[in-house]
Amino acid sequence: MLRMRTRGGLAFQIGIAAFLLVALLIVLIPFWRVIVTAFVPLDVYTHEGVPFFLSPAKWSIEAFKQLMTHSQFPRALWNSIVITIMGVAISMTLTIPLAYGLSTRDLPGRKLIMGLILFTYLFSPGLIPVYLLITGMKLTNNYLAIILPPAVSVYNTLVMTSFFEELPVELKEAARLDGANELQVLWHVIIPLSKPILLTIGLFYAVYFWNQFFTPILYLNKNELLPLPVLLRNILISSSLNEYVEYNAFSTSAVESLKAAGVLITMIPMLLVYPWIQRYFTKGTLVGGVKE
Amino acid sequence: MKKWKLLIVTILVTSLILSACATATETMEAEQPGEPEAVAPEPEEEEMPAEPVTITLWAQATVTESGPPPNDWIAYDIIHDELGIDLEYTIIPPAGDGETKLNAAAAANDLPDLFQITSTTNGRDNLYTYYELGLITPVDDMFAMMPVRTENHYNNQLLLDLVSFDGSVYGLPEPPIIPKREGFVIRQDWLDALDLEAPTTPEELLDVAVAFTTQDPDGNGQDDTYGIGAFIEGPGLGRRFNYVFGAYGVLDLWNFIDADNFALNVRDPQYYEAMQTMIDLVDAGVIDPDWPTLSKDEFRARWKQGRFGIMWEDFAALTNKSNYAPFDENFPEGSWTPVPALTGPEGEAYYGLYEGNFQIFAVSQRAADEGKIEAIARLLEWIATDGYYLLGFGEEGANFNLDENGFLTLDGIDPEQAYNAPERQPFTQLRNQLVFYNTLAEISARYPNYTTEVSGKLMTPIDTFLSFFQAQDWVEGFAKKLIQPPETGADFERFYNEGLLQFVLGQKELTPETWAEYLAGLDNLGAKEYEEAATAVLKDAGMLP
Repeated sequence: MLRMRTRGGLAFQIGIAAFLLVALLIVLIPFWRVIVTAFVPLDVYTHEGVPFFLSPAKWSIEAFKQLMTHSQFPRALWNSIVITIMGVAISMTLTIPLAYGLSTRDLPGRKLIMGLILFTYLFSPGLIPVYLLITGMKLTNNYLAIILPPAVSVYNTLVMTSFFEELPVELKEAARLDGANELQVLWHVIIPLSKPILLTIGLFYAVYFWNQFFTPILYLNKNELLPLPVLLRNILISSSLNEYVEYNAFSTSAVESLKAAGVLITMIPMLLVYPWIQRYFTKGTLVGGVKE
Repeated sequence: MKKWKLLIVTILVTSLILSACATATETMEAEQPGEPEAVAPEPEEEEMPAEPVTITLWAQATVTESGPPPNDWIAYDIIHDELGIDLEYTIIPPAGDGETKLNAAAAANDLPDLFQITSTTNGRDNLYTYYELGLITPVDDMFAMMPVRTENHYNNQLLLDLVSFDGSVYGLPEPPIIPKREGFVIRQDWLDALDLEAPTTPEELLDVAVAFTTQDPDGNGQDDTYGIGAFIEGPGLGRRFNYVFGAYGVLDLWNFIDADNFALNVRDPQYYEAMQTMIDLVDAGVIDPDWPTLSKDEFRARWKQGRFGIMWEDFAALTNKSNYAPFDENFPEGSWTPVPALTGPEGEAYYGLYEGNFQIFAVSQRAADEGKIEAIARLLEWIATDGYYLLGFGEEGANFNLDENGFLTLDGIDPEQAYNAPERQPFTQLRNQLVFYNTLAEISARYPNYTTEVSGKLMTPIDTFLSFFQAQDWVEGFAKKLIQPPETGADFERFYNEGLLQFVLGQKELTPETWAEYLAGLDNLGAKEYEEAATAVLKDAGMLP
């Protein structure tokens, strides 16, 4: 009986492992495909398309070189960095106090405030009213047009509120007994204890602002203000409309390679950041999932 | 130590915020095309305004990735000094994103003074919407203010009719970017290798395609070629099979060939015959089997890989130096040759449908209210006259020279400063939007003859391909832009497209009965009402008797 159970358990484990392996391949194969496409040299591409495996000796960084040596690349990269840092700074500055306030159970009008916040989560104002607001505030051609409308994410605020609510009330009371006001409680007690959620929410905001694409197109009329995703898209549009690009804009890399390289370039910063905060990230994303 | 770190971070973030907020202001200040000179510019013949007029212009880029002209672009200075205009030029993205940007600005009554209509479907529909909302102004009076431009750019009455509503012209229809530029081409080296002639009928097309598929035309000893390559682009099976449908006189969606029998082409008995020919080609296995799902990029990669020998392609996409180079490298002995339209059983031999995808510029009502019409006309006329070469090619002597026949030459020009060098593209971003009007000198400058690097072949894109394509018998399809989609829109389109594909791929047998069922299905989705509405619109526009 024990033996059968062991065999059954083994089969189950093999089944699970096989299932996970298939799931892993489903994720990895397209990703691998993107990587190979980005590095495939033009002569291989024009002869045989994108092979599944590419000899390491044949890998070419031509597509990356073409994108990264573009005259506007440094400027667009800088713009994206500015938008991301500014966006995260402003968002966190606004989200942390809001979440802290909402986590205080005896906050007067807490339910009403929460209701108003949830209302904005459920009902979006739509493109045109926001456009009117931004242009009315004379924020066209200003990064604040990109940063202010999404500066406070309701979802992020609620997640952070849940985290703050789970911190021991006694710590806050002890600080207040020592004469700390609410800002001091937040700064000296709550924030040092909230690294996981701050880094997690910070990453959420950073990814959001790093990938900003549509709002810059809408509100930034000065091309020198445009961020990296917009530049990369412009390059890719141009290379796929090659019949109108008479001047050999791209001649040493395949269009598909440029697209794949563009995808990888925009992923790299987030890939670099993630390992540093991974241990906090898992903890942060589980907040609110378990109620004691 | 921690306090120091905190202080540094705070300063860094604050400075970033301040610098970012200041960016726009500084940029706008910098972009003013120069402070007024201490010495006033020479008075012009025309009366100049005391203060420069600011004109905002939104237009797409010609080379999207090259970015805008720099703030110290000489054209800004000239426009400021000679025209009394401060030009604020913004590049807008093409297609959907550009359309959304324009629509958002329109909804906020914040349209720029002069702008290019951007649309994913039909620019005329967007123009009409702006007209109905009162956001754009008639431009009839502008034509007299810009005689040269009107003669060169706005000389096609049909195009002017298409942008006219209630007897007034509301759009400036720029000449289509090189008309009739696509065509039917075949691998000449494959024909020679198999001792074949180019096909002249659908039957011969099948024979040649079979030979290309089965007789190893590239001589590499492998079964790795197909006769025909294509992908779906346009309604139904798309225009990449124009050479089949043209032989039956049923090109595209509507019958523009026979005005007395204007209707959907699928009503024509010849369409059934064309479908049968398509089925024969598919059943014979002579079309690259991935054609229903191929993208344009994949299609183009495949002809460069020598996958097939018969196709419909854009002349520049085929012969442009950067596009042709991979093919030349792979097949130094290879060559494509243009082929005339195939002749069908009833003697019809139409090449393609010419829709004239022209671009439309409009002037906002706000600009008119602010009295900017005359300044806008002045700017446009300058672009068509004194500013033509500057905005189209750069500065004479620095970026190009003119030969004795008025053709552009690069003799004596630094290659890095040549008008066609990548570095120079930001300076001529308006060329395809507001400058070019398709003169021979212009097209020759854009698509010059050249010698290929590997095979050393002399390529003559215009003489060999474009001129040939343009000389064929095209069906005029401008009127298509007047026809609004049916009420059932997406459903109709899906049924129409998928039904044709199902027949061709053998998922549904093509018989008179199944074809009648297909037509009845279209009728159920409002095909008859669609045809009646289209007929009425075209009659109103004087395009049908």
